[in-house]
Formats: sequence, structure tokens, C-alpha cells
Amino acid sequence: MTNPLSSYPPEETWDHVESLDPAAWPTKVRRAHRLVPTTCFNCEANCGLLAWVDKHTGKITKFEGNPVHPASRGRNCAKGPATINQLEDPERILYPMRRVGERGEGLWERITWEQALDQIGTRIGTAFREDRHHEVMYHVGRMGDDSYMERVLHSWGIDGHNSHTNICSSGARVGYASWMGFDRPSADFANAEVIFLISSHLEAGHYFNPHAQRIIEGQKNGATVVCVDPRLSNTAAKADHWLSPWPGTEAFLLLAIARLLLEAGTWDSTFFERWVNWETFLREARPDLDCTFANVRQALIDQYVEYTPAEAARVCGVEESTIREVAAVIGRGLGKFASHTWRASSAGNEGDWMVSRCLQFLNVLTGSVGTEGGTNANGWNKFIPVTPIHPEPQARWNEMQWPIEYPLTHHELSILLPHFLKAGRGRLDTYFTRVYNPLWTNPDGFTWMEVLCDPELIGCHVALTPTWNESAWFADYVLPMGIASERHDVASFETHNGRWIGFRQPVARRHRELDGETFDRTHEANPGEVWEEQEFWIDLSWRIDPDGSLGIRSQFESRDEPGTPLTLDEYYTMLFGSSVPGLPEAAEVVGLTPLEYMRRKGSFSLPGDQYRVYERDVPETELAGAERDAEGVWRRPGTAGSHQSLEDIRGHMPFIGDGSPAIDVDGQAKFGFPTPSKKLEFFSETLRDWGWPEYSMPSFIRSQVHWEDLDMSAGERILVPTFRIPTLIHTRSANSQWLNEISHRHPLWLHPSDAEQLGIEEEGLVRITTRSGHFVIHAWRTEGIRPGVVAASHHMGRWRLEDDAARSWGAGKASVERDDDGRWRLRRERGHEPYESSEPDTGLIWWSDTGVHQNLTFPVQPDPISGMHCWLQRVTVAPAELGDAYGDVVVDTAASHQIFEEWLAKTRPGPGPGNLRRPLWFARPVKPAATAYRYSSSESA
Amino acid sequence: MTRLGFVLDSGSCIGCHACTIACKSEHDVPLSVNRTWLKYVETGSHPNTDREFSVMRCNHCDDAPCMTICPTSALHRTANGVVDFQDEDCIGCKACMNACPYDAIYLNPETKTAHKCNFCNHRLEDGLEPSCVIVCPTQAIRVGDLDDPDSEIARLHADGGLVRSPEQNTRPKVIYMGATASSLDPLASAIAPDGMIWADTTPGHSTPTQVALSASPDRADGEAMARTAYTTQHPPVWGAMVSGYLVTKAIAAGVMLVAALLVALGHGDDVMVSTVPAMVAGAFLAATGALLIGDLKQPKRFWYLITKGNRTSWLVKGSYVLGAFASCLAAWWLAGLADAGGALPWLALPTVAFALGTAGYTAFLFGQCEGRDLWQQPVLLPLLLAQAVVAGGATYSVLDLLLEVPGTATVQWTLFGGLVANGLLVVLEMRGSHSRHVTMALAEMTGGIGQRSFRQWRLDGLVMPLVLVVVSIALGADDPLLPAVAAPFVLHGLYAYEDAYVRAGQAVPLS
Repeated sequence: MTNPLSSYPPEETWDHVESLDPAAWPTKVRRAHRLVPTTCFNCEANCGLLAWVDKHTGKITKFEGNPVHPASRGRNCAKGPATINQLEDPERILYPMRRVGERGEGLWERITWEQALDQIGTRIGTAFREDRHHEVMYHVGRMGDDSYMERVLHSWGIDGHNSHTNICSSGARVGYASWMGFDRPSADFANAEVIFLISSHLEAGHYFNPHAQRIIEGQKNGATVVCVDPRLSNTAAKADHWLSPWPGTEAFLLLAIARLLLEAGTWDSTFFERWVNWETFLREARPDLDCTFANVRQALIDQYVEYTPAEAARVCGVEESTIREVAAVIGRGLGKFASHTWRASSAGNEGDWMVSRCLQFLNVLTGSVGTEGGTNANGWNKFIPVTPIHPEPQARWNEMQWPIEYPLTHHELSILLPHFLKAGRGRLDTYFTRVYNPLWTNPDGFTWMEVLCDPELIGCHVALTPTWNESAWFADYVLPMGIASERHDVASFETHNGRWIGFRQPVARRHRELDGETFDRTHEANPGEVWEEQEFWIDLSWRIDPDGSLGIRSQFESRDEPGTPLTLDEYYTMLFGSSVPGLPEAAEVVGLTPLEYMRRKGSFSLPGDQYRVYERDVPETELAGAERDAEGVWRRPGTAGSHQSLEDIRGHMPFIGDGSPAIDVDGQAKFGFPTPSKKLEFFSETLRDWGWPEYSMPSFIRSQVHWEDLDMSAGERILVPTFRIPTLIHTRSANSQWLNEISHRHPLWLHPSDAEQLGIEEEGLVRITTRSGHFVIHAWRTEGIRPGVVAASHHMGRWRLEDDAARSWGAGKASVERDDDGRWRLRRERGHEPYESSEPDTGLIWWSDTGVHQNLTFPVQPDPISGMHCWLQRVTVAPAELGDAYGDVVVDTAASHQIFEEWLAKTRPGPGPGNLRRPLWFARPVKPAATAYRYSSSESA
Repeated sequence: MTRLGFVLDSGSCIGCHACTIACKSEHDVPLSVNRTWLKYVETGSHPNTDREFSVMRCNHCDDAPCMTICPTSALHRTANGVVDFQDEDCIGCKACMNACPYDAIYLNPETKTAHKCNFCNHRLEDGLEPSCVIVCPTQAIRVGDLDDPDSEIARLHADGGLVRSPEQNTRPKVIYMGATASSLDPLASAIAPDGMIWADTTPGHSTPTQVALSASPDRADGEAMARTAYTTQHPPVWGAMVSGYLVTKAIAAGVMLVAALLVALGHGDDVMVSTVPAMVAGAFLAATGALLIGDLKQPKRFWYLITKGNRTSWLVKGSYVLGAFASCLAAWWLAGLADAGGALPWLALPTVAFALGTAGYTAFLFGQCEGRDLWQQPVLLPLLLAQAVVAGGATYSVLDLLLEVPGTATVQWTLFGGLVANGLLVVLEMRGSHSRHVTMALAEMTGGIGQRSFRQWRLDGLVMPLVLVVVSIALGADDPLLPAVAAPFVLHGLYAYEDAYVRAGQAVPLS
């Protein structure tokens, strides 16, 4: 080719790009577009998108990648370009609606935004005036923004944040946090020599597309990829080594590898000596030894004396030679060991958090923490800008999300909410679900249905959702909120070495504003009256506190024009102008305001690399007022690191860590880690002090699905119900026909030897029985799964109760009823079939399968420490029985409540040292004021 | 010169389907069809299991069978070597879909025209890479110029990089890296009875069936059969209309062959040899035309065959043959009307020639279907001619019963000869060594998708009429009754055979 091709039109032309119409081709018809950057809303990666807006029609014609986005680099997974489907989906919700029949009856009336704001705002205002702050809760599925909602909740003064995290990542977070404060890894895959994944990052996970790019880049550059997964994920298929251990034994495998590294001497002792709290380890675990580093290696080997390769082979079911080989590979890649675990085993097993704790042990042993090609802490590769107008933290603690039984949980005990409500621990006046579908996504959905239907327990349920879902069907208000190209948000994630922020903006509004129009609110430019939350919260806050007497309104008042609501332009002018280092300077270079820079580019890469941040010197000016303690940690008065009473700690505590600014290493004040010791904590005094001394060091915890406890001959197997596939994303992808055309079925993976043993016929139906119910699903015999384990992706099984309402490309028609024994029964009446609509594709639906809603049959199984729902199920697998039909789900919620109580009894409730509810240094979303940490025994628990 | 091709790097492909969706978005591709798609293939046993991903799409062949067969040149090559299409010229004949050995072309259910990957030629024109290239997270899809010796694709090509179905000699310009035969050879893997990994399996998801695998259990490379875990549907495009057209034109041609024989035997003055056969053949030729046009998805554009005719296409040449044959029929009929029986021996020569052409040209048309190896067997031409003789003999037998035909014995012997030849040619078609594709297709014809029809042919189209005709000949060959009774069975059997043949030819997967 004479002229090399480019991927995208040059950035400077984005305001006006003339391109050939593919539909008219080969006739050359040119159409003018404006390219507006925004951010994908489908998964947590928040990749960059470029919306192509047809200048003639004003409509978005397609979404491509944003080439200047530092994480996604112009590339996307299937879900990025599929955004156009979600925009044009004939079934999307376009107007605010209020229930007129009974909850779940499906009768709605269209209302105005004014009505919605007035009615909901008045409700909340009344609750606040009556000091019922705990009765207002915001429950979020996919957070789009990083700090905006925290500002809203702090303004309201409530401890009302709830999240999806304990069905997702609480387990992994505790494992990482107990080592280094930061609760997530950030692997530098592109520069690694060994890429070790207990996850399926080539098809899912945080962060699929950005990480997949860099994993394959690393592999192409010679890195060895190891994938640990009981089933052959696409990631496992691409790996150089696929290890398929018994689920729940991963920690054992990792510790055996650690032992092999220590025995072979292939570990980074220098790093360990410098940055690990080994003195504490020797002092606490080996008082018989002198506290010198020379003793550490042998002490560690002694610590893991039982973790021999042979025993690991037996416990994990992986060949001993494979374990040795992988350990040798890791030993050759010291300093460049990039590892990750997210969801997967650390979201499946009791003791799941130990998987990440043991994996981080390998990061530490190989000296790969924060190195080029190693594994950093997420906090050093992620940047959350916070506005200068941030209100004080709330002085409240809500036991509904943060119960005293789980002082160490990472994130809220969201799965227990319906059980707490049923158990009379409280009630909710106003409950917001935001892009969250707990009835379908969470375990034990029928218990959710029960509480969502009970106005005594939930006074008002407001569903903020772009599309219909099972939970919204039971709401009182359904308020349509925009998707990728219809809203403002800022996002930042640890995708690689570096830090960036991405800016999601309402594309149609931006386009029309550039053409000279002005808009008061984004819903004026969006399809129908679809709005965005950020403006909604401003206007709602005004309605909650119309006269300003609650002190809320002022937080949402314009600084430029007092007496009027804050606008997002003003908010983002402040945020980008003062809270993102380097952005104002970069904008100035190109002659733009920081906000205009972000609107034009959609993202900004913060300057500088982020390797070995802990080694950075802390300037003396930052040590002013701080005192050096006996361990060399610089402690500052008035912080959690050196307080006398909680009242000493004023304002916002740091999100992570106790506020101590530095640690002396070899006589130099270093940045260190945000842990109490400012070092990596092999021995966690926090775990010891908060009731779990036996787990103060990385170890193996036998899980609820341990294979030796199963009665295989009676048909017991381990069910892995959690895996993602590359094309779908929980509830949201149901509104894309292209994604659902590719994937709409999730048969039960079953090894042929199991099929034979269990008498499952080819094309046969299987009944899977859990402790609280059963479901009926098709079998799929495959060599891609470990014998003894069965698996079905969690994506499918969507349903709707009405034939012609709340349709999507993924939901089948079902009925729900309760039998005489009080058991719930979901029956699939019909799968997908073609139908006529404004969208021609609905007439071309060729598939019928919509899957089985298996999560209904899973009782809650919160890990007693991390609070993570242990997704893996001990199930009985048998051929379907007479009368069983595909898609049947039967659940006894009385049994599931009893199982909730069993798991609750496994906890060791707080308060912890100092009568605290939770270690002050632990991260916590919407972190309250320090005084709220004090536990009052008069509280009901 | 520029000859653009794709490097599809299966080593980097993570099977994410982003390319599929980006393509759907760029070209507004409806549900049920794809310009590019992914195939997942699983091999091995736990824990040494593997899943391979390969992207499937148009190969922009240097010798593109779709362009050769396209009757209107709607499929054409652009200066950069890309095979593109002009939607407005497509008559919806679907021949390209059978010509393509890669399942790359589909019928757009909304436009009713044939579409496929066009390399995003409109983007290339603007200096932009195809949309599948820019979206790919792992840069597993790359564009290259085969005429640039320094390009990656040229080096790969020179090193014998893998292509799909090289035996079709289409000179494909999509080169695979890191792929294996399990992924690229459509007969090396099959969808298991319990279906695919996350999509429904429909009858349109073509895969080697148990019948086909029983007939040809071993892969060409001796490896174990792999499992197709994911692919897309490619339903057959030619059905009853095409099978029917084969029968109607066989009748039209066959009637005139028998008439010509009777003329040669001196019966040219008989109305049963002059006007009647021309009218009967004319009626069936008209039916042939109606079926041909009826099978077009854009029937109103049938005249593009003439105005935009691509002379390499046997659809076009065939239409010329049919037109010439129609002219012969008209002349024959007029000669009969004018009572000019003496002219018929002069007309017989071109009439026989075009009757043979009418019956036989389909062998060349089917021969242009590079994707349908069964139809490319050399026995097809004599078989079609024999079928015409059978059809002519049978039709004349009916005429003989209704009106008196001179030379009853001739008709019966003709029918007998045709049936014997037909039977022997089918035996010949079945026997001998075949490629794996043809073996599977034959197995489908006799024991799979075509089994019922093939049995009907054997009974109705061969055994029963043979018995009746032999009895009739043994009784003196002067009573038209038994052959006339056999005739409807013969014709039904003939249709059944064509049905089995057309369907089985399309039953072997290409992707």
C-alpha cells in the first residue's frame, strides 16, 4: 500500500469528519460526523469510546474506541461497539414511571421528573427531619463514578452506601488489604516475565479489554502465562500452563509454590528484608529464634512444612511435576511476576480471601511488588479526583451494611440486607437501586423478592435503571438513567503502569451544545426523558432540603450563582481545574480549559510512572509535626496512627491507612505502604487482634466445598456458578441483540466421566439440588472441566413475567408462584421467539434458549471474615425427575434463612480493640468520621 | 499493484467476538447472518484440553469463484485486490453462496441481496483500517499487501502460512498464524449432540453429522475429531425450486431428444413429433424459467441476466442456452404448424444440441460451485443427460397413452435405455475413491439428509419403472399402458433424486 492506513481520523478533525457511507458503498456518499469521546458503561473497565454523531440527523451512528484513551488505546471488546444496540433498544425505559398497582403487578403510570423529585425528595426530607437517616439507602451495582456519590452521601450525612461488592470481590480485597492496605492488585502484564492468573482476564474480570491487550502483549514478548481455574476458560486456553485444581485448594497450591521458591533460594531476600514486617513474624511465630533476618528463610520453610509438592498434588489434584515446573518458571522471573486474582476462587470459597493473601505472598517473595513487570497496588495506578467542595464525613454508622459480626469485611454485607430486614434489624424508608438487580444477581433472589414486595420492610423502592430488570419490576418508581453516551461520570482504574482519568459525557448534549444550543438538564437532549444521576442528585438534594435548614442544599448550590443549583459544568470545572495534577497544565498547552480538554479528549493520563512508589523519599516538610516511633514509623498526631481518643481525629480519615506519613528504612524516610507498620504485613497483627490469630499469616482454609468432604458416590459435586463470558455483562447486556445473538445459553459443564457416573444422558436434563432448592438445566459434556466439578455461567437465566412488557434480548417468559409448602417456583414458559417491533431485528430472533436462573437456589454464604458471598455450591447432580422442565427453579426461603443464620454463627463479632467496629486503617467506602467507629453496646446487633 | 489480505493471528486471538460486533455495527448486519465470525474448537482431554479460536470471513480470493459465478458481476474486484459487491446489481440467485468454499457470503434478510466482508472498502478509501482491525483488543487482525514483499502477510504467504481449504485452489488472501487444522478444516471438528458452548444449535449450523462421520471417520491429518464449541449458522440456500428446475428442464430437453429421434426415424410428419412435443417442451421450459426466476430473491431484476450478464457465469451462459433452446422450440412448432415436416430434420440438429445444452449446462453451473464438491464430480454431465432421456421417455409414454405416438417401441426402448444409464451412472457416482467432502456428501445423500428422497428415487425412479418397462418390452413393446403408468413415478423419482442431490451437496460444512 502506498498510503499506510490509520485506525482513526486524526484527533484534530474530530469536530468534522466526512466519511463514506458504508450502506451506500460502492456509491461514494459522504456523510459528516462529529466524533465525541465518552466512556463505555458496560463493564468495570470503563474503556474509552468515540461516538460518531451524524451531523445531519444528530443521531449517534456507531461507537468506536477512543484512540487517546490510555487504558483501552482505541480498542474494545464486543461490548463497546454493542453500546449502539442499547441506545436503540426498542424496550428501553424512556420516561419516569410510578407504580399504580401492587408491587410486581406491572402497572405503571408515566410521571414527570418534577413529580418524581418532589415525591421522593419530600419522603427523604421527612426521614432526615425525623432522624431516620439509617432508613435511606443507596445500593449500587456498577459504580460509574469514583467520588461523586460519596460527596452526595456525605452531604446527606448518612451512612447509606451499599454496593454489590460482597457478591464480587470482598474476598480478594481482604487478602490484599491485610498485606498492603490497598485492596487490589495492579499487574504490569505488558512487561512481565511470568503472568499468573487466578482469574479469566482474557474474557472478563477487572479489567478485561485493557488487561487482555497487555497480557497478550506480554505473552508475545516472551512471558509465560499460567492460569489457575477448574474449568477451561478462554484465558486458560491461551495460557502456557493451565492448572485445574480442586476449587478451594488454590491457597494450598500457592503456598506449595512459595515453599518451593524458598527451598530453591529463588526468592528476593533483599526485598523481603527491606519491606516485609519479618521482625513481627519472628517475634510472634518463632520466639525461639533470634530476631535476625538470617533466620527468616528457614522459619518460613518451617512455617510451611506441610505444604510439600506431593501433598499439594494430593490436595489440589494437580500433578506434582506441574507444580514444580510452574514454581521453577516463577523462580526464573524474579521481579517480573505479574499476578491477579479477582472473583474466581476468591469469590467462591469460605476462606476465599486467603487465595489473594497467598498470591500476594508470591508477589512479595519474588520481589515483584510495584516493579516493572511486577504487581503494583491498585491505589498507585488509580487516581480518584476529589472536589475541593467536599463535605464533612457522616458521624453515623449503619449496622444494616456494616454489622458488628463482620468487623473486617471489605465492603457492605449487601447480600444479608433482606435477611436483616426479615430478622427485624431495621427497615428502609427509601431504597435506591442503581444499575443493580439484586433479585436476579444476588444469591437467594426469592428472599429479595419477599422483602421488595413488603412495604413494611421497604417503604419506597426507587430503581434508577436504563433498562427493565427483575428487581425494577418490583419497584415503586422506575427512573430511566442514561447509559454510556447519556451521562457524566469520571472513572479511573488500575489497568497498567500509570494513572489516568476517563470522562463520560452525554454525547447528544455535547454535540448540540457545540452547535450553539443550551440545555438546563441532560434529559432535554437524551432520548425520551432519560436523565443522568449526577444532575438528579443535585435536584433531589434541593427537594430534600428546600429551605436549606438541613444544611444539605448548600452543598449543591452554585458557587458562581448562589441561590441556584450547582451545574455539572461548574462542578467539573472545579474538579478538573484543581484536583487532577498536570491536567490544567496540559490543557493550557493546547489552549483549552481543563473541562474543555476533557470534553474533547475524554481522558487524561497523569504524568509520571508509578513503579516502586513505596521507595519514594518523603521530604522533611511532610514529616513536620510527626514523630518517629520505635519501629521507625513516622506518626502524626490527630490521625488514626497515633490518636488518644477518637475525638482527636478530625475530618476525613485517609481512605486507606492510618495517616502515618513515612517509615524509616535504612535511615531514610520512605513513603512505605498504608498499613499500621508501613510495611508489607506477612504477619497481620490486625487479623490477630480482631479475633483471627490463626490466620495472621498466609495459610490454607478448608472451604465449604472441599472435595474430601463430598460424597461423590451419592452424586455430590462442586458447582461453579460464577464464570463470565466475554460478550455479556450481568443485567445490562440483555439489551443488546448482537451480544445475545452470540451468547444466550449456559449449559452445565460436566466432565464426560461424571456424566457417565451420574447417569446423565446426552442432551439430558440435569437437576441440581442445593441446600435451599433446585434448578433444572441442560448438560454439556466437556473435557474442559475438572472431573468432580460442574459449572454454568452466571449470565443467563433472565426472565420477565409479562409477555409484552419488560422484554429484552435475553429474558424468557416465566411465571412465579408459591406452592402450599411455601416454596417458590419459577417456571420457564417460553424461550425467545421473534416478534414485530420498531426494530427489524426482533423479527429475526433465531434462538430460543434464555438460560436458567440458578442464583435463586443459592443460599447466602458470607465468609465469616471477608463477608464475601461464597458462590461455590455443594450440590447434588442427578438426572432430571419426572415432571421437571428445563428452567425450573424451586426454592424454600425458610431454609435459606436458616442457612443465613448458620453462616452468621461462624463469625467472631466485634467490637475489636478499643471498642472499635472496624480497624480505622482499613479502607471503607464513604468512610465515616472516626467517632462513628466507636461501638455502643446498647445497639442491637 | 496492491493485493490486500488479512493476517488472522489465532495465537493472539482471545475469542472475544469484538470483531463480529464491530462489523455488525459498521455494516448494520442483521441478526442471523455475519460477515465475520468466530469459531471455537476444542481438542484434547482434561487436563490437557485446548480451545482454539479462529476468525472466519471472506478470503478475497485471487481466483474468486463467487465472482466467476455471479451472473451480474455484482461481486467484483476492486483495484486493491478486494472482492467487493454492488448491492444494486444483485439478483439474489444465491449462486455465489454455493460457489464460495468458505461460507463467507450470506443473504441479507432485509435487502434480499448477497452480502459479505468487503474489507471495509469504504474505510480504506478514506485511509482507515477496517473496523474489525481497530477494535481488536489484541491486534490479532492485521491488514497486509501481498504485493509488498516486505509486508508481514507476504512473508507469511511465502512461508506457506495456513489458509482455509487450499485444495479449492481459490488463492485465498487471508493467512492464518498460529492456527491448526482443527480450526481451519471444516471437516476436522463437529458440533456434539449436546450443542455448543453458549449458543443454540439450529439445523442451519452445518456440521459433519454422525452419518457423514460414519462414512468418513478419519480426519485427513489422522488426528482425532475435534469439537466445534462455537460457530454460526449457514443454512443451505438452494432447495425445492432448484430441484424442480432440474426436473422441468430435463423434461423439456428430453421430450425434444425423443422427438428428434422420431424425426430421424422418419416420423417427422406426425403431429406427435412436430407441434405437440414443441408445445410440451415449451411448457416445461416456461416452468423452468418460472422456477429460476421464482428462486431469485430479487425476481424483478431477472433481466439483469441479459443487461448486466457476466459471461463467465454459467447462470448467464445457461440462460443463453435456454433462450436458444426456446428459439429452436418455436421454430419446431412453427414448422409443425406450417405442416413443413421436411424442415424438422434440419431443425433437429440445433434442437438436439440445445436440448443437450439445456439438460447438461447445469453440470457446468454446479461445477462453478467450488463449495459443493459433490456437484463438481465429472459424472454429473452424463447423469443429467441420462436424466433428460429418462424424462423424455417418460413424458412421451404419457403422450403415447393419450394420443398415438408413432414408434411406441422407440419410446419404450428410449425410456429403458435412459433408466439403465441413469442407474449405472449413479452407481458410478457412488463408487470409487472420493475426497472426504464428497464421501460425506454421498453418505448424506444416501443415508442422511437425502436418505428418504434417495430411497424414493431408487423405488419410484428406477426399480419400479424398470420392471414395468421391461415387462412392457417383453410383451412386445406395443402397448403404451405400462410405461405410461410408470411415467409419473419416474418423474417423481427424478425429483426425489434431485432433492437428495441438491440437499446433500450443501450438507457438508464449509466453515
